[in-house]
Amino acid sequence: MENLLEIKNLHAKIGEKEILKGINLTIKPGEVHAIMGRNGSGKSTLSAVLAGNQNYTVTEGSINYLGKDLLKMSPEERSWAGIFLGFQYPVEIPGVTNVNFMKTAVNEHRKQNNLPPLSAAEYLKMMREKMAYVEMDPSFSSRGVNVGFSGGEKKRNEIFQMAMLSPRLAILDETDSGLDVDALRIVANGVNRLKREDNAFVVITHYQRLLDYIVPDIVHVLYKGKIVKTAGKELAAEVEKHGYEEFEK
Amino acid sequence: MAEFKYIPQSEIFNCSVELSGAKKFYVLDGKPMGFSAKDGLIEIPSEGDLLTQVIFVRTTPHPSSYKVRILCPAGSSRAVILCAHTTGTDRYVTEESVEIAMEENSNLSLIVMQNENGASSHHSTFEISQKGSSSVSMNIITLHGGNIANRVNCNLNGKRAEAHLSGLYLAGGEQNIDTTVNMRHNSGECTSNQLFKGILGGNARTSFKGEVYVAKDSQKTEAYQANNNLLISDTARAISDPHLVIYADDVKCSHGSTVGSLADEELFYMRSRGISEPEAKLLQQQAFAGAVLEKISNIEIRERLSRLVERRLRGEDTLCTGCAKRCC
Repeated sequence: MENLLEIKNLHAKIGEKEILKGINLTIKPGEVHAIMGRNGSGKSTLSAVLAGNQNYTVTEGSINYLGKDLLKMSPEERSWAGIFLGFQYPVEIPGVTNVNFMKTAVNEHRKQNNLPPLSAAEYLKMMREKMAYVEMDPSFSSRGVNVGFSGGEKKRNEIFQMAMLSPRLAILDETDSGLDVDALRIVANGVNRLKREDNAFVVITHYQRLLDYIVPDIVHVLYKGKIVKTAGKELAAEVEKHGYEEFEK
Repeated sequence: MAEFKYIPQSEIFNCSVELSGAKKFYVLDGKPMGFSAKDGLIEIPSEGDLLTQVIFVRTTPHPSSYKVRILCPAGSSRAVILCAHTTGTDRYVTEESVEIAMEENSNLSLIVMQNENGASSHHSTFEISQKGSSSVSMNIITLHGGNIANRVNCNLNGKRAEAHLSGLYLAGGEQNIDTTVNMRHNSGECTSNQLFKGILGGNARTSFKGEVYVAKDSQKTEAYQANNNLLISDTARAISDPHLVIYADDVKCSHGSTVGSLADEELFYMRSRGISEPEAKLLQQQAFAGAVLEKISNIEIRERLSRLVERRLRGEDTLCTGCAKRCC
């Protein structure tokens, strides 16, 4: 099957500091990849570069997404093409309600596909259905985006948004951080419901515990801006047992 | 904010969009139409429970100067909306003074909506005097205008009087909008709130000068003041100059003032969800303006003004839905 994503020799920096130092990664539809690594290994930088965060500069290498040069696309074009980033720290937007935010996003996606905007009733039906995926109360829709949400509510809101936009490639950046066991299960269930043959997930995490719920096909260990080890799901257990040290030699 | 071209209407203004429960009056170049003025003083009529809408229109280029009075008898409750418009592209110069006299236990909800051409010059002074337990809520929404100056002198002269003032000014191009608020707590146990926000594009210049004065014996005063400005262009300039002058010792007073630009991380978050950059910026500006608009208690007016603000921010004609004319 055609590759969804091909990252070749990717180097990226923030300011003058080089963080990614030659990433190679290929993702096929239907796969779940986990990227593990210590703080500062470059995990979040990789996800930010994939989503098009302009604070990072790519200095070398290429990213091909469904035959297109991803690095030439704006963040919104990437979203329209099916890329979704679940933020480690979801942003609060006071004054913009969750419903207005997501309705605008969904309708912009529809516009790109030459579809008419959803009516209020159609949107509401879709929203209720997807909120149920992550056991989110519909009252959240009238609140400001992530404003006053607990850590767990913010992460559920990320998965809700993912469900609304139905991406081809979802990158979940430490979605498990700050979650208790119940929230972790809810978030993982939401992700599992969205798995299809034609989409793929990249789950970025420190710990194995999320991977007990979202079982990866392939696990990578990132160290100092490079992937130093790639194996099957058993690698996550190995990391959990022995730590990262043995990959850092 | 998109560049906006104010399109004035060419015929005598006649607002075709009805506000429910409202009685409409017109004042052309300072002359009231169908209601009388005594000694050059325009008394805003009171029509029972109805909202009084007074539309001030400039049609001739001669300078116009007029006085307006809003009387709020003891125990009364009234709602007034004052709209200011221009019909051509001439340089209209308007000097307006509005006296608001509030007797004990009276209640006034006042909305001032200004939408004039980019060459106009309009100076307004609102002189509010409040007796005990009276309450005023005033929203000044400035959609467009050349050189606009609004001055509010509010005198809290009786105990437990309340003044809630808010304003939104949208300035683009070469516009200049000045706001001066002078809040005087002359009596104790009074409350005042001020929230003034501005969105500036182009080469716009705005200023906010706000003073809260608490007299020596005005104990148990609560007074809050905030002015926030959002700069959309690199060449716009906002001045914010807040003052607290407090002579009493048992008071709660605060003030805050900001001048900033759109938050990058919010923008990236919205774009990562597929909201295009211009649309994301618009949402941010609407959210910024929303804090003032939501203070308008009349839902119909609030929704109408919110739509006008959105159109203004998009650079579209500021037409009310259902209106064929380009007046507001």
